[in-house]
Amino acid sequence: MLYSVPPMDDSRDMQALLDATVDAVITIDHRGTVELFNRAAERLFGYQAAEVAGRNVSMLMTEDDRRDHDGYMQRYQQTGRARIIGIGREVSARRKDGSVFPAFLSVGRVAGADPPRYIGLLHDLTLRKRAERDAHEARERMMHVSRLATMGEMAAGISHELNQPLTAIAATAQACTRIMNSAQPDLEEVRLALERMAGQALRAGEIIRRLRNLVRRHESELEAADINAVVSELGTLTLADARANDVRVRVDLTPGLPQVMIDRIQIQQVLLNLLRNSVDALQSMPAGTKQLTVHTRAPRPGQVEISVSDTGPGVAAEMLDHLFTPFATTKSDGTGLGLAISRTIVEAHHGQLTYHSLEPTGACFTINLPTLDNKS
Amino acid sequence: MSHPPPTVYIVDDDEAVRSALRLLMKSAGYTTVTFESAQEFLARYNAQQPGCLVLDVRMPGMSGMELQQELNRRGAILPVIFISGHGDIPMAVEAMHSGAFDFLQKPFKDQDLLDRVARALSSDSAARAEKLEVDHIRELLATLTPREHEVLDMVVSGKPNKIMAADLNLSQRTVEVHRARVMEKMHARSLAQLVRMMMTLEGRH
Repeated sequence: MLYSVPPMDDSRDMQALLDATVDAVITIDHRGTVELFNRAAERLFGYQAAEVAGRNVSMLMTEDDRRDHDGYMQRYQQTGRARIIGIGREVSARRKDGSVFPAFLSVGRVAGADPPRYIGLLHDLTLRKRAERDAHEARERMMHVSRLATMGEMAAGISHELNQPLTAIAATAQACTRIMNSAQPDLEEVRLALERMAGQALRAGEIIRRLRNLVRRHESELEAADINAVVSELGTLTLADARANDVRVRVDLTPGLPQVMIDRIQIQQVLLNLLRNSVDALQSMPAGTKQLTVHTRAPRPGQVEISVSDTGPGVAAEMLDHLFTPFATTKSDGTGLGLAISRTIVEAHHGQLTYHSLEPTGACFTINLPTLDNKS
Repeated sequence: MSHPPPTVYIVDDDEAVRSALRLLMKSAGYTTVTFESAQEFLARYNAQQPGCLVLDVRMPGMSGMELQQELNRRGAILPVIFISGHGDIPMAVEAMHSGAFDFLQKPFKDQDLLDRVARALSSDSAARAEKLEVDHIRELLATLTPREHEVLDMVVSGKPNKIMAADLNLSQRTVEVHRARVMEKMHARSLAQLVRMMMTLEGRH
């Protein structure tokens, strides 16, 4: 980086250097008046050097940066504390036509100049920003498409799943009509039937709500997070559920794990689902043997892992193949969506959700996530 | 033979659907027994009991289709009405090919199901009566001697006594005696009745 003006003994070399550089080079005096404006700067901003020289550099900035810039200059001159110098920052620059482009600005102070003079280099970030945005959008689309693909797989299952409560409601209502038309209607029977119908209508609504959550194209909110904190936040919910079911919970968090980039809510959904499944699975086990363990660790560099294991019966051999298939369920009240959605979510985080059985008995589900610094 | 009331068997893994169908059948005056799985049905079903089966296609464990095939293997004559959560046409075709009585898509109109149940029960009752008759005819046939069998086959195929006597190398008189024994053993009052009995058997193999 060019932080000081080279010796001026050969001004033609200097001029060639300035002309050749692809980044904009601008020098200003201590009041912000532009002195030098190279070719690249002309190209980038659309001004001729003559239009800018002698005017304040703030004409090249957006409203916000302009205010900040005046503040930085003042503060630096009063306190000597640099906000940009030697550090650089991303700024929004303004072209002659008023359009704005992202750029990386490096600023150096010209050595020995008094009053101080500054030299600024602007690197155009337009292409990189566009590429980043494109990549982000592509990822969002992929996530959405993968959710829709899951939905496609689920279409048959969905219709079946919704038809169950609808069938129950229709048949029960029709039975009620018949009962009411009979000579001596059993009103108690009708009352119970009405209650069941209401329950089934709610069941249908619940299925639809879950599906809507699945297909809604929500802008996922990725943030850097400590996986241990994410697990701990679920603590109260899980403990209450476990205690109510006579399940002992062990939470074994490896301290100091690297951060992960996740949609916190989504990963917590996955965890809740796994924890619920375990608590359910443990119901069939003898009292005193019901143990649930949540364990976090870094199995290898660039990865963190959360495992949810239990001492339940494990997954039946015939279920293993379609464990993550939508609507494959062994629960009488299950929709069979939980694990399918969970896997979709984890995969959208470039992670993996896997299962293995435990000896002598038990299930272990493992979420693997790439760490924040793992770019692969 | 006493005639126990026919039963509508309902097999569906969904408790809500089971109890709704039980109530619907009860409101229409039918006796029902419900099962939550195909295995449970197979374990408890008594083939002597007349009725029909309302069977969900899609169930964990043994599916409705597999149950139907198992019933076919066991030679059960119980009519099967399939109910399915998704109108899967190939599946319906396969079920009908395998001898399903009918195929209904969930949810359905009560009358649609009740009509089919009524028809299935009368079909079951007719099939059971026919089966009784066939069993009865087989019992009677088992009492014939080999010679009487030969005479029976010829009588049914319409051969006069004279031809039969020549073919069997017997006297006409002997043929007449055999023929009378066949009619008696088969409890047939006329040649027409004997022919109808044999046709009934053929229809059932």
